[in-house]
Amino acid sequence: MTNEAIIQLKDIDVTFHNKGQTVEAVKKVSLTVERGDIYGVVGYSGAGKSTLVRVINRLQRPTAGSVEVSGQDILALNPRELRTARTKIGMIFQHFNLMASRTIADNVGYPLKGRLARDERKKKVAHLLDLVGLSEKAEDYPAQLSGGQKQRVAIARALANDPEILISDEATSALDPKTTSSILELLKRLNKELGLTVVLITHEMEAVKEICNKVAVMEAGEIIERGDLVTIFSRPEKPLTQDFINTATQINQALEKIFRQAATLNLSESQQLVQLQYVGASTDAPLITELYKRYGVVSNILYGNVEILQDTPLGNLIVVMSGEPDKLAAAWQYCQDAGINITHLNPNDSEVA
Amino acid sequence: MNLLAKYFPNAVTMKSDFLQATGETLYMTAITAIVAGIIGMAIGIGLIVTQPGGILENRVVYNILDKLVNLCRSIPFVILLAVIAPLTRIIVGTAIGTTAAIVPLVIGSAPFYARQIQNALAEVDHGVVEAAESVGSGPIAIIFRVYLKEGLPDIIRSSVLTLISLIDLTAMAGAIGGGGLGNLAINVGYSRFETDVTVMAMLIILVIVFAIQLIGDLLARRVDHTA
Repeated sequence: MTNEAIIQLKDIDVTFHNKGQTVEAVKKVSLTVERGDIYGVVGYSGAGKSTLVRVINRLQRPTAGSVEVSGQDILALNPRELRTARTKIGMIFQHFNLMASRTIADNVGYPLKGRLARDERKKKVAHLLDLVGLSEKAEDYPAQLSGGQKQRVAIARALANDPEILISDEATSALDPKTTSSILELLKRLNKELGLTVVLITHEMEAVKEICNKVAVMEAGEIIERGDLVTIFSRPEKPLTQDFINTATQINQALEKIFRQAATLNLSESQQLVQLQYVGASTDAPLITELYKRYGVVSNILYGNVEILQDTPLGNLIVVMSGEPDKLAAAWQYCQDAGINITHLNPNDSEVA
Repeated sequence: MNLLAKYFPNAVTMKSDFLQATGETLYMTAITAIVAGIIGMAIGIGLIVTQPGGILENRVVYNILDKLVNLCRSIPFVILLAVIAPLTRIIVGTAIGTTAAIVPLVIGSAPFYARQIQNALAEVDHGVVEAAESVGSGPIAIIFRVYLKEGLPDIIRSSVLTLISLIDLTAMAGAIGGGGLGNLAINVGYSRFETDVTVMAMLIILVIVFAIQLIGDLLARRVDHTA
């Protein structure tokens, strides 16, 4: 993977004026996507993420800022040049946006109309349908397909012009979890096999967790946190990011249950509820045993979870540690030295992390 | 045949008049449909692409078209017939007769059709238009390959509606000198108290309307793949 920037958004502002009201959908956002990235942009609805990525192919003209795609200044293009540039930027949508009046094959072949001769087009369409696994549906109409199949058709259509970039605007948000996974798998495969750069907008951190290598978190028109996936997941700084991650890893639900139980646990002075988080190699260390051997600290595991992100394990443990106060402190120090993140949890504090 | 003679004593003696009148009605309808169809379609498409948020957004053009359509649609057709008689005379040389009736018919039905087309095309999912833009389609491709293609079932339904209302208008134009079945029904049947002639003219118009409706429905169903 080279580090060549394929998309460069700089200081993007998008302001809407509607009936005397001014809405700043995107505020001074800069974003760089490198070739081969699967870049996730997460945020709740209304955060401005869709508006931001629609700037990439100028479906949305920014109020201010600059847009560079594959070294081309997108905002300086005339309509004809823009259309040519757009052929290199595929896009898929939450509601698929297929043409109901055309067969699946015609939907996929639509972008090639007027660009390729009929039989060449046919060949290409067959290849694209094969790529997304829908060859036998070629003569069906969209209304006959399931949501997941429709999105595969939309992906095939988006790939018809051999784009270098694929923008996925909440493409899995209308799909069930299983279908979502299969679509994400397909995107990952296309990323690997075709070298396709993917910009994935979603409100589900699970989707990002599955395939992205980088992620940006958006809130109220701004990117509040960004970085590579493992860093963001292991050291989220902003509360919103933590919230997204805890939902994705289901730690929130676990904590809620544990906190409800905590009263019955009746923790004494010598017991502490802590969350241990570790990345990469430290996952493999026999931590719990080590803590007992060295400090006589007993750890009772209430919840455990290991995520594999970009081939890097990310572990989360919620444990009750029991031991002498000074031994506990030493144990925590040992953990920290081993690169393990410790959060002390207070069950009486109803606020979930 | 005897039954026909019994209930339509006057009409049966006017077979050639009825044939001619039916021909005139169909002629006025067909020519107007073609001319008003092209004009109405163009204005309807114009309204859709220049409307706020349209693919060729243009406030000035949109407002002009919008006001023009509203203006023409506000004038009652009977009055329009009289008002534009001088214009008709300039275009076809006379203000009386079947061909002359086509001018007010076009002006009366084109704006109606334009609105129908606008409504039909407004039903085309904006997301689909956006998807076409995202693969690099230009305005012409989007109009012909997306709007008109996707909107076709609704366009056919609107066209049927417009055709039927057009037949209504031809009857009115006929009554004041345009010929056709309306002329027969009013100037012969009504004025001479030959009610059976009026009824027969009405029945023929009903048959024409039903035929248009039937064919339209069949066509619309054939091109509609939404379900």
